[in-house]
Amino acid sequence: MTKILYANDLTACFSLWRKEGMRVLGPVSKAKTSGFGEVQDAHELDLNLVLTARTLKELFFPRTEPMFSYSIGKQKIETGEFLPSENACIIFGARPCDAAGMAIDDELFNWDYRDEYWFRRRDRSVIITIACKESDDFCMCTSLGLAPDSAKGSDVLLRPLASGNGWRVEELTPKGGKALQPIASLLKEGSEAAAPTAEVPLLFDLEACTTWLADPENFESHFWKEISERCIGCGTCTYLCPTCHCFDIQDEGDTYEGIRRKNWDSCSFQLFTMHTSGHNPRATQSARWRQRIMHKFNYFSDKFSVNSCTGCGRCTRECPVDMGVRETLQAISTLQK
Amino acid sequence: MSIQEQYRSRAKELLREGTVKMVIGYGAGTTPLRRRPIFITSPDDADRLVLDAACRTNLAGYLLREGLLADQKSVAVFLTPDGVRTINILAAESQLATEQVIVLGFQIDGENARQLEGTRVADFSGIIAERKKKRKEQPSHEVARKLEQMTSVERFSFWEGEFSRCIKCYACRAACPMCWCRRCVVDNNQPQWVNTSSHTLGNLEWNLVRAFHLAGRCVECGNCSEACPVNIPLHLLNRRMTEEVLTAFDYYPGADEHQEPVLASFRKDDPETFIL
Amino acid sequence: MSEPFEPKIVAFVCTYCTYAGADLAGTSRLKYPPNVRIVRLPCTGRISPMFILKAFQKGADGVLVSGCHPGDCHFDHGNYHARRRWTAFNALLQFTGVPEERVKFSWISAAEGIKFAELIESITEEIRTAGPFEQYHKLIAETGSAASV
Ligand code: SF4
Ligand code: SF4
Ligand code: SF4
Ligand code: SF4
Repeated sequence: MTKILYANDLTACFSLWRKEGMRVLGPVSKAKTSGFGEVQDAHELDLNLVLTARTLKELFFPRTEPMFSYSIGKQKIETGEFLPSENACIIFGARPCDAAGMAIDDELFNWDYRDEYWFRRRDRSVIITIACKESDDFCMCTSLGLAPDSAKGSDVLLRPLASGNGWRVEELTPKGGKALQPIASLLKEGSEAAAPTAEVPLLFDLEACTTWLADPENFESHFWKEISERCIGCGTCTYLCPTCHCFDIQDEGDTYEGIRRKNWDSCSFQLFTMHTSGHNPRATQSARWRQRIMHKFNYFSDKFSVNSCTGCGRCTRECPVDMGVRETLQAISTLQK
Repeated sequence: MSIQEQYRSRAKELLREGTVKMVIGYGAGTTPLRRRPIFITSPDDADRLVLDAACRTNLAGYLLREGLLADQKSVAVFLTPDGVRTINILAAESQLATEQVIVLGFQIDGENARQLEGTRVADFSGIIAERKKKRKEQPSHEVARKLEQMTSVERFSFWEGEFSRCIKCYACRAACPMCWCRRCVVDNNQPQWVNTSSHTLGNLEWNLVRAFHLAGRCVECGNCSEACPVNIPLHLLNRRMTEEVLTAFDYYPGADEHQEPVLASFRKDDPETFIL
Repeated sequence: MSEPFEPKIVAFVCTYCTYAGADLAGTSRLKYPPNVRIVRLPCTGRISPMFILKAFQKGADGVLVSGCHPGDCHFDHGNYHARRRWTAFNALLQFTGVPEERVKFSWISAAEGIKFAELIESITEEIRTAGPFEQYHKLIAETGSAASV
């Protein structure tokens, strides 16, 4: 026997959470794209999407974030803060790859410095993930050591019932348990079988790839230019990646008054490494693509013992010239032999 | 012989003779429906070229990448008439020399790719003149017509909604062959004219600047709309600008390689209905 | 009764004609509303659309761009170039919902002090009637509030 949440009860469930003062967010298809948005009613959710176009990270790491304002007067200097609220929120219907991505990003944002903007939002949020029944041609979680029902990064895991009427509920963290309390009356005991999870084929040998990447000999390999010749440096792969986390600090305003902001930035951009002198240590697009791969599968893992990729496949799915981590790692695994 | 076969052997020939050092074309993509740009330098690889109705990207921009043409050698590239117009514009703006470009011309008609006769961009001037005529007769986009009917407040709200989604990735810029500036005006910070942040104001400013800088230069290839990860209807802005220069100045971008850029030229009798 | 709304208007003018015209309006002691901040540029050819965006970004309710009549440009053809640019930019602004009364273009010569004073009078009145550029001001205000997530 296990707890079951029926789809019919979802709207009631959302109102119970709201009664407790929690906002509810979930995958929505809106205005020609899909991402996470606040919902009142279960019908607003788009739970049939394999994966939203935009990632969960935007809920913790918005694309532009004011940090503080300043105003310099004759007598004194005034500053104002913009810390995110700590009001609890439920994220319903994340996918395992996105949820795992948040756990990976935690490492970075809590490394030499604890990023309050990230963690206030992380701490207040409960991630309720739905295991995947379906995948598409770009999914590659299994190649990254994850699975369509990975628990990493989630507080509660829901397994879709074979009947399609609801989900088997697995509580994963104390935070998840607490979030389930207000809706306890809606969780029914049952033994209905879960639908099989999606079958996501293994696309490459990650071990072999990381070994090749770790070999300094390969840093200057021809491979990099060949594999990324068509990259236009548009940054889409990084902005839509759950684990890409680079940002830039910008002052908007003038010497006397303004706001300091934290804005997304991307290693795909030429300007990312441009020096004031005009010299650019990553002068070519292939050097930038190499950086993206090396950062994810070498530097990041060296530091945090985990690769900065969950196999969500967005970088391939959304690339205007059909590149992506998938092709590169597949190519590296074949180089081996 | 199918057009794909013809162009594969043509590409082989060009590479074998040494007429070109590279052929830029389309190859198979990650899924059966996707195509990707490929760069062929050896005749043996020419069989990787694919040409069919799924080949949509305007490849002309690759000619400007990282000094490709600096050695004065020639490159062949698969181009639709809009791609050829792109080359004309880039030549008119002194970004490349047309002598270095061999055109593998094609056009998509419904489900089929059709071959276009010609080798050099100048060979396509007839087709381009024809397109200009057609463009003049083409009605505005359905959504644009609806927008024109709206009050300015409604129009502003429409665009506010669209631009609020922009994530300032600048993929539209990266994908556009005409966005060749080495330092885009929005990346200048001395002075910083428009906001770099991706709040709606910054997004609006960016999109206005982009559309304006492409006025009379855009060939309506669709690369930008295709690249935009949040599907902002950039083509509406581009098309509006195209229609403006066409009606006001009878200007169709990319007519030939000597055409003066519309905003870098003038006629003394240009219309000025709105000036007080 | 609340104070009547006083619009903020920025005028980008060329130094040879419109600025001189404004000067003439001043020395002739012609009265015109004080709502206009004049920014003087060497030529209309130097007036980039970026300036217009900057003015709105800083909270302007209206913008005037003005220079020498066609044929009178101190640099021979700066205003002809400007005219083409304005044509395109004006179309773009209107297409994106910036109301027509918010951005005006004019030719005012050094001798047209009266035209200058009258134009300022009429555009100030027009914008006063239209009210503050609220849709734009809302976007400006948003930049100063916390991220919505
Ligand atoms: S890999 Fe694709 S999505 Fe990423 S920067 Fe290059 S072209 Fe853009
Ligand atoms: S690198 Fe690509 S597959 Fe990996 S998490 Fe990022 S977008 Fe997803
Ligand atoms: S603006 Fe867009 S449609 Fe126009 S040429 Fe550039 S990429 Fe093509
Ligand atoms: S591609 Fe789309 S989201 Fe990216 S900067 Fe351009 S308009 Fe904005």
